[in-house]
Amino acid sequence: MGRIAVTILLILSPLLSTDINIYEQNCVKCHENMPVSLDKFFFNYLLKYSSERRVKQALRNYLKHPRRKASLATEELVSRYGLMPKTDLSDEDLRKAIDTYWDKYKVFGKIE
Amino acid sequence: MSVSNVTATGINRSERITLVRFIGLYSFLVLMILILGSTIYFKLQKDLMLQTKRLELEEYSKELIDGLKLLHIYFDRYRTYPRNPLYRSAIYDADHVQIFSTLKHPEGVQLEKVIYTTDGVIQYIHVLDSYYLGTKYTVVEIDDDRKWFAQAWRNILIYGGFLLVIFLGAGVMLMRLFLSPMRDAIHLLDRFIKDTTHELNTPVSAILSNIEMIETDRLEPKTAKKIKRIEIGARTISTIYQDLTYLALNHNIVSQNSDVDLSALVQERVDYFRILAESKKIGIETDIQPGITLYIDENKMARLVDNLLSNAVKYNRRGGEIFVRLRPGELIVKDSGIGMDEKQIKEVFKRYKRFDSGAGGFGIGLNIVAMIAQEYDLEIEIDSQKGHGSEVAVKWDA
Ligand code: HEC
Repeated sequence: MGRIAVTILLILSPLLSTDINIYEQNCVKCHENMPVSLDKFFFNYLLKYSSERRVKQALRNYLKHPRRKASLATEELVSRYGLMPKTDLSDEDLRKAIDTYWDKYKVFGKIE
Repeated sequence: MSVSNVTATGINRSERITLVRFIGLYSFLVLMILILGSTIYFKLQKDLMLQTKRLELEEYSKELIDGLKLLHIYFDRYRTYPRNPLYRSAIYDADHVQIFSTLKHPEGVQLEKVIYTTDGVIQYIHVLDSYYLGTKYTVVEIDDDRKWFAQAWRNILIYGGFLLVIFLGAGVMLMRLFLSPMRDAIHLLDRFIKDTTHELNTPVSAILSNIEMIETDRLEPKTAKKIKRIEIGARTISTIYQDLTYLALNHNIVSQNSDVDLSALVQERVDYFRILAESKKIGIETDIQPGITLYIDENKMARLVDNLLSNAVKYNRRGGEIFVRLRPGELIVKDSGIGMDEKQIKEVFKRYKRFDSGAGGFGIGLNIVAMIAQEYDLEIEIDSQKGHGSEVAVKWDA
């Protein structure tokens, strides 16, 4: 079900550019000037949580309640940039941002 | 009520039935044990094979995981799945969704197991601690060469067959062991009957022939009456003797069949029984069509008729009637005796079937009738009414 939704999302992505915009404008903007890129974070989540459902759930939890204990980032990174601030996106927008994030870095269909 | 097609059962037959039942039950049990044993052996062989293959598969699995690890780290640059011609593999995420696969039989994958065979391949599942590329399960698959399978079957057939022979041999020995006391008892009884019957013959014939020599007309009526009673007694013993001889000896001997003049035979037997019947004030009326013949052993036919007449006398009331009728294909002996109800007729037939329980004169008598009837395909019908007497009809294809 989730994957079908994602596929539809991908097909309709030009129409739904606002969804991608949420991700670009919110997440990427803030992350741009960090030494650790967003894809490294993504693969850390994949390494820890494995499946799409669990990765997305973990991301949602973290973005809504960032805690040092739950963070996968390294000690230096956190001490330099501090914990990620609690997201100010609505639930709906957060879901869209995370979906975009997942679609951008997921491994499904990319392995040769 | 009438019942037909009576079957008589001899000692050999019941022994044979016991044997067949025992062998049947025993073979069934032996087969069950062998099948159970084979299944266990088969399972063990399979497990053994899987254990051996497991080491190899674990190696492959490690290699695959190393490959995945590299792929995970350098995924932004490099995306080729780690492959090896020695095995095929697949990766699954924590929600059992397949991420990538080179398997031949991905439909047979069972992630909750460790190692198993499916559709001619062996698959080995490894659960990862770090989910490279999101991989929680790796599946490594190789072809199952089925050598163990053929080997296991060959062993099962060879050893199973060997065991079967041993078991059956033991079974036959056991059976002999269990049956021998029974057989001994029967043989002892048989011997006893043969010996005693033989020794009965001489005194009884001596009595009968001597009585015949006495000229009763010259005797006082009182003495004549007593002599008559002695004669009746001796004849009764003689009939019983004949029955016993038949049971103990005759029915095992080959029948000496010939065209027997039934009319004469039946008449003769009726005359013989008249004296017995008179003692109970029973009249015998006959309607015998002359010239009727039947291809049969004369001695046996005489036993059959004797037993019918003897029963008609025995179970008649004082002053009753016996009616004997002979027609082509049919002999009827009817009495005006006590008769039987349905239950008793059934009981009579039950006794036919169990030689050993037919201890009384009635049982042995009817048993003989049934045995002879069976040998010559004669049909017996008993028609009886309580209080009105019985009618026994013997029928054959005239
Ligand atoms: C205001 C800046 C800012 C915004 C906006 C932001 N992040 Fe972050 N993010 C950070 C910082 C700082 C860290 C590193 C510290 C940490 O791990 O909490 C971080 C860490 C992360 C991590 C790693 C978390 C971990 O467990 O270590 C992920 C994944 C992440 N961000 C995803 C996102 C996504 C997706 C969005 C958009 C919805 C987003 N971020 C928006 C600043 C931001």
